[in-house]
Amino acid sequence: MHRFLIKTILFALMSFVLILAVALIPGYMVNKFSKFSIKKNSTIALFGHSHSECAYNDTLIANFTNLSHSAESYFYTFQKVKKYLVQNPQVKTVLIEFSNNQIDNKMDDWTWGYTYMSNMFPQYASFMSFADMELLAKHNSKYFMNCIGIAARTNLIKALSFNYDYTGKTGGYFKIDSSKHLPAGNPVNENARTSPNKNRISTTNLQYLRKIVDYCNNMHKHVFLIRSPQHPLYEFRNNEAEFSLIRERYFGDVKFLDFNNFPIKNDEFADFGHLNFKGALKYSTYINQRIINGMLNTGNTASIDQAANKAAN
Amino acid sequence: MLFNSFGFGIFLIVVFVLYWFVFNRKLQQQNLLLMTASYFFYACWDWRFLFLLIFSTLLDYFTGLKMFQAKTQGLKTFWLWLSISINLGFLGVFKYYNFFASSLAALGADFGIHLSPFTLNVILPVGISFYTFHGLSYVIDVYKNRIKAERNFIDYSLFVSFFPLLVAGPIERATHLLPQVKTQRKFDYQEAINGLRQILWGLFKKAVIADQCADYANMIFANSSHFSGSTLVLGAVFFAFQIYCDFSGYSDMALGIAKLFGFELLRNFAFPYFSRDMAEFWRRWHISLSSWFRDYLYIPLGGSKTGTWLKVRNTLIIFLVSGFWHGANWTFIIWGLLNALFILPSILLKTNRNHLEIVAKGKTMPTPVEFIQMSLTFLQVIFAWIFFRADSVTQAFKYIGRIFSRSLFSIPQLDVNRAQLLEVIILIICFIIVEWHGRENQYAIEKLTWLRRRGYRLTFYYTLVVVIFLFTGKEQQFIYFQF
Repeated sequence: MHRFLIKTILFALMSFVLILAVALIPGYMVNKFSKFSIKKNSTIALFGHSHSECAYNDTLIANFTNLSHSAESYFYTFQKVKKYLVQNPQVKTVLIEFSNNQIDNKMDDWTWGYTYMSNMFPQYASFMSFADMELLAKHNSKYFMNCIGIAARTNLIKALSFNYDYTGKTGGYFKIDSSKHLPAGNPVNENARTSPNKNRISTTNLQYLRKIVDYCNNMHKHVFLIRSPQHPLYEFRNNEAEFSLIRERYFGDVKFLDFNNFPIKNDEFADFGHLNFKGALKYSTYINQRIINGMLNTGNTASIDQAANKAAN
Repeated sequence: MLFNSFGFGIFLIVVFVLYWFVFNRKLQQQNLLLMTASYFFYACWDWRFLFLLIFSTLLDYFTGLKMFQAKTQGLKTFWLWLSISINLGFLGVFKYYNFFASSLAALGADFGIHLSPFTLNVILPVGISFYTFHGLSYVIDVYKNRIKAERNFIDYSLFVSFFPLLVAGPIERATHLLPQVKTQRKFDYQEAINGLRQILWGLFKKAVIADQCADYANMIFANSSHFSGSTLVLGAVFFAFQIYCDFSGYSDMALGIAKLFGFELLRNFAFPYFSRDMAEFWRRWHISLSSWFRDYLYIPLGGSKTGTWLKVRNTLIIFLVSGFWHGANWTFIIWGLLNALFILPSILLKTNRNHLEIVAKGKTMPTPVEFIQMSLTFLQVIFAWIFFRADSVTQAFKYIGRIFSRSLFSIPQLDVNRAQLLEVIILIICFIIVEWHGRENQYAIEKLTWLRRRGYRLTFYYTLVVVIFLFTGKEQQFIYFQF
């Protein structure tokens, strides 16, 4: 029995050491050699989820790179922001999409729900701090262990193939064909989903937004929160009161560019939260003009409605 | 508590330590510990069904004793049928009631009679088909005087509920397991190492091959109407590996765990995909269930020592019952029927016992004829699996219909990460190679004779550990838990 126990324990220990090595060494290499590059003339970087991913066609906006990724909570955006800002000193201004659904507690699922975690965690695991990992482990310990394995595999493949380039793999403008749009009439029946629960706020998502803002400030970047257009019937708009309160209370120090009511027609919306190509074309052209006019220098959004209506016409 | 979960690992270590270090003086204490651990294990699934397990155990325990004490054959028969009726009654209510009620309503609708069937909103108690068959084998064996009725309730209860085999088999026989329960176990170093090795291989099969294949098989079967014939074939192949590695992986882990406690369970799989005909396949696939049906149904019906038509009837009966055992769905019944039709020619031509030895025994490679035979058998098997996996008979027929179209000759198209798909295909190929090399053993890596040096073997085991770590994704339920 003693022989069995000693051999089994030795085997288990050796396995543990091997697993640690397989998990940590490629992770370290990915962290060290990873490349997050954007165009040299890009001085403005935008981060966010699918709303901004579909709204900002960065080929139409000067010196602008859209790095938004659908279903990305601020937890993962934070990891991305750190890498991009360190490796791209030409970026002077950071825009962060901040819209109504990003305060909702469904963002928690985007952070540690298995489907989202298994997609996002392997991508960014190497750049996370112990506290970040602890947060995921605390909320979904069972699947976090599984995701550790997936992350190790992803990193091992990157290390073995010397493929450390993240360029183009972390988001970008996503074109939705103009043929996909809301009906011209009253599209109220299009929205079959239930309204979000007003009382459920994702504190984790907000904490990580704060971390992103603080990080950008420490890196001496200009930071703006920006809200891209949402349809008046968009389900999450009914948390507007909480949204405004949170923004003023916790992010009052950050300038807010609000294009929520930018006039977009039904045939320019792919659905209530996302612009199709036609909508993105109109909105991006408008944003480009506003940036040229110095919007990011003044942070002034007072004349948005007037200018937007002009653009819409 | 899945075998491949962290929680089970802790449970196993605790029970192992208590078993060999705390309760190692008396057999009864060890049996009591294992029985308690088994009930705890079962309660972790759903504690309410623990009462059903205990009732089933008590029923067979008492009917066994009553049969043994019965003074007349009539009384003995009465107790036998009482036990069979109640056991099958429970199985019928929990597993088949809704199926019969809805099938009757559908039949009524065909004749213009509107029936609103009363369906039960109950979940299937995990492992009910397995422990019911344990109990049935015991009472039938007592009735046939193959064994004496067990007087010690703890021993009998352990036979029924021993946790490695409780929820998905192997389906044990009282004649095989009860004597082991009643014999003092001694720790055997070689057997324990062998057990750990078998657990490792089972874990690899389940966590790596089966769960990876499951992702692709599920995706293809769920969207079968959108895929080409060649992709659907790929889906069926993925499912063939999924179900084999899932179930045989579970069985390997069960056998390995039992070895750690000094028990030798029945072998459940013997490299079935290397079979040269369907008869050989069924001697190698889910052996404990096939032999159960052979001993308690096929042979009592007359077996193959009857006329031609009775042979056909008996074969059809056992395959249909076997299909129905798997689940209350017409897909399983058709799966059973298909297998009966595949095997019948060899029974009628008396070629069903042509391949009793493992293929290419003592050789490195099969002959071309053997290779063709294995390929054709595998094709038959995956064709039948389509019915087993499909959600409905209609879906199965549509799936097969799309396979046999022009798109069968196109390149399979799957909207997935190609690198990950390639990884899975490479893993399957490596798995087949290891299984082929180890086909003369109880399980593929039992002896690893092709790795002569100890260092190579250790490297192989560590590689398995690392691959399991790297490929373990979301834990997927074992397929056979639903049966």
